[in-house]
Amino acid sequence: MVLISGTMLFATLLMGYAVYRTSAPTWPPAGTLPVKLVFPLLSTVSILLSSFFMHKVRTEFEDLKKAKLNLDTTLVLGFLFMGLQTLFWSELRNSGLLVGSGIFSSILYGFTWIHAAHVVMGLLSLLWLRFVLKVETRNLDVKVLNVEKFWHFLGIIWSIMFLTLFIL
Amino acid sequence: MSGGYNEIHPEPTTFWSKYIISFDHKVIAKQFLWYGIFFLGLGGLMALLIRWTLAYPGVPVPVIGSILFPNSAGVVPPDTYAMLFTMHGTIMIFYAITPILIGAFGNYCIPLMIGARDMAFPMLNMLSFWFAFLSGAVLLASFGLPLGAAAGGWTSYPTLSTLVGQPGLGQTLWSLAIFLFGVSSTMGAVNYVTTVITLRAPGMGYFDMPLTIWGLWLTAILNAIFVPVLCAGVILLMLDRVFGTTFFLAGASATSGSGDPVLFQHVFWIFGHPEVYILILPAWGIVSDLLSFFSRKPAFGAKATALSMTAVTILSTLVYGHHMFTTQMSPLLTQSFMTLTMTISIPSAIFFANWLGTIWKGSIRFDSPMLFSLGVVFVFGLGGLTGLHLGTVTTDLYLHDTYFVVGHFHYTMAASVLLGGFAGIYFWFPKMFGRMMNELMAKIHFWGTMIGLNGVFFGMLMVGYGGMHRRIYNPFIYESLQRLIPINTFITTSAIVMGAFQIIFVINFLYSLKKGPKAPNNPWDVGTLEWTIPSPPVHHNYDVIPVVKCGPHEFGNPNLTTGRDFQYQTEDLVKA
Repeated sequence: MVLISGTMLFATLLMGYAVYRTSAPTWPPAGTLPVKLVFPLLSTVSILLSSFFMHKVRTEFEDLKKAKLNLDTTLVLGFLFMGLQTLFWSELRNSGLLVGSGIFSSILYGFTWIHAAHVVMGLLSLLWLRFVLKVETRNLDVKVLNVEKFWHFLGIIWSIMFLTLFIL
Repeated sequence: MSGGYNEIHPEPTTFWSKYIISFDHKVIAKQFLWYGIFFLGLGGLMALLIRWTLAYPGVPVPVIGSILFPNSAGVVPPDTYAMLFTMHGTIMIFYAITPILIGAFGNYCIPLMIGARDMAFPMLNMLSFWFAFLSGAVLLASFGLPLGAAAGGWTSYPTLSTLVGQPGLGQTLWSLAIFLFGVSSTMGAVNYVTTVITLRAPGMGYFDMPLTIWGLWLTAILNAIFVPVLCAGVILLMLDRVFGTTFFLAGASATSGSGDPVLFQHVFWIFGHPEVYILILPAWGIVSDLLSFFSRKPAFGAKATALSMTAVTILSTLVYGHHMFTTQMSPLLTQSFMTLTMTISIPSAIFFANWLGTIWKGSIRFDSPMLFSLGVVFVFGLGGLTGLHLGTVTTDLYLHDTYFVVGHFHYTMAASVLLGGFAGIYFWFPKMFGRMMNELMAKIHFWGTMIGLNGVFFGMLMVGYGGMHRRIYNPFIYESLQRLIPINTFITTSAIVMGAFQIIFVINFLYSLKKGPKAPNNPWDVGTLEWTIPSPPVHHNYDVIPVVKCGPHEFGNPNLTTGRDFQYQTEDLVKA
């Protein structure tokens, strides 16, 4: 019971973040983009792949061994995403685009930071789920479902950010 | 309907788990109540300091002045004045009204009035309080900074709130505190919404819920949707201040690039307008119930009241632009926002008329909760009417940023909510603490508060109409405003009177807590679920989850055979 409410904490964040994003597009459109797309593209691939494996955690949930393997894959891809983000930031810095160099870089850094902060939360909840898989069985389906929702949500937000910030 | 969540939790045994990190909604409600009353007192003191400065500019504050402002011989310095009105607004809105109306009554009433054993997510509830506590601690800490606390107004518009407008850590801590507070509110709100949807007692449809629950529920929905918008705003503000982004920096204050200061105003008011309804909706709900309870009559048009409150909730999300008429919005936009704003008066008028319909020909009992409720009807009526002048573009251009605005939002948000909050405290105190409050002191408190606050806020409307600006340290350096000094003195005197009468409340509260006569289960002869169980309720509220068979306002039915003039919600409806 207590643990369910713990997972609902993330559902709360989900709700909050959703509204956050809807308020975001009011930002003035940025100018030209001198940003290399390699790392964001790789990030997108990794987070979407991880979402796919997270989905498999739930659908192939009966087989505990398989579920663990899928969860591990999700975790690895999640950490990979964070690594790629770090590389992306350092590349930005090296190319001379600093946090304070205008509204465009503000948005670029600010949004990716906030998203990354949520990914950290997501990774923590994944680790927690990994732990729970081992020791407890009560309400496991609900917990998996909630974490999965949150993880997909992060993927979806990233895709939207990727589309709006980097492509369009 | 309970979905297996409504189990009995074991009663906590240690002091720590019982009073500090309690999961019990009743304990959390009391924590919020104490927290709110503490900040209410603090915010009130700040208001008195502000008022003193406006009535007697340059005169040392009596008694406490020399302690608080030793460097200026007891006079409130200009920068401290800006800090005071900023923190007064912030504290009253986020740290006094919200914890009392939403934190305390929401937590206390929702499970009890819908017949549940606790909230849907007790742990989230506990976290919600402790996040609020943390937030309050951060806010209080900011007073100790060398450059003082935030001073950019409670709205914290850039550029006032940027590093250029305000160096120092105060504004940053303010943003952090508001962010933490937002997290707390969102957690609470999600909890309330889920609880109301899933944990209603068997047989209780949405329209069988007391209107208090309607108010709190709608509030929680607004909270869950719009508080995160504010969080987004203050995060960006923090990024601007700490990491050097330029979201809100433009022109001379930006070293490079260009953000947009007005953007913050959009973000702020997208949240800010729903926020005023977040604050007032619980009070509306409480008043709608209490008017019926103490008129011994069914609430007139209860369904219409609930639906019009819902309509206000929806409309409140569409009108935020009326706070920004003077930001060079296109006339097309201002006209649209004006029309939408005016539309709100339709549902407001509906439930206002319903309130009057409820007390019409009732056999009214003038107990203290009823007095305060009638007070709300009066001051909200006045506040609502003055809103028309501000919602209309043409008059707003003149009245914008004057004390008329201050008077208006104090009538609607402060006076109504304060009186509604007191009504709720007097009404539920017996259930909360198992003791009655002193009725005579409560009535004296009411009249003192009512007369005082009308003196204050009506005076504000007058000086505002006379052209006095909201935020000037000493408005009387302008010759044209010097004729307003007598009214300002009157306002300040009223404020001091009002403040003095609050001492009676504090004494009554503390005394009754210890020495008040024991409260019966149902001191007010009311039929809603919380009055069917002992005062105070046991840890799990209901030994057996009640089955609801009728609405909350079944009064004065001549065919009742029980010898009472009301029936409990658990009794079969007697045909009238």
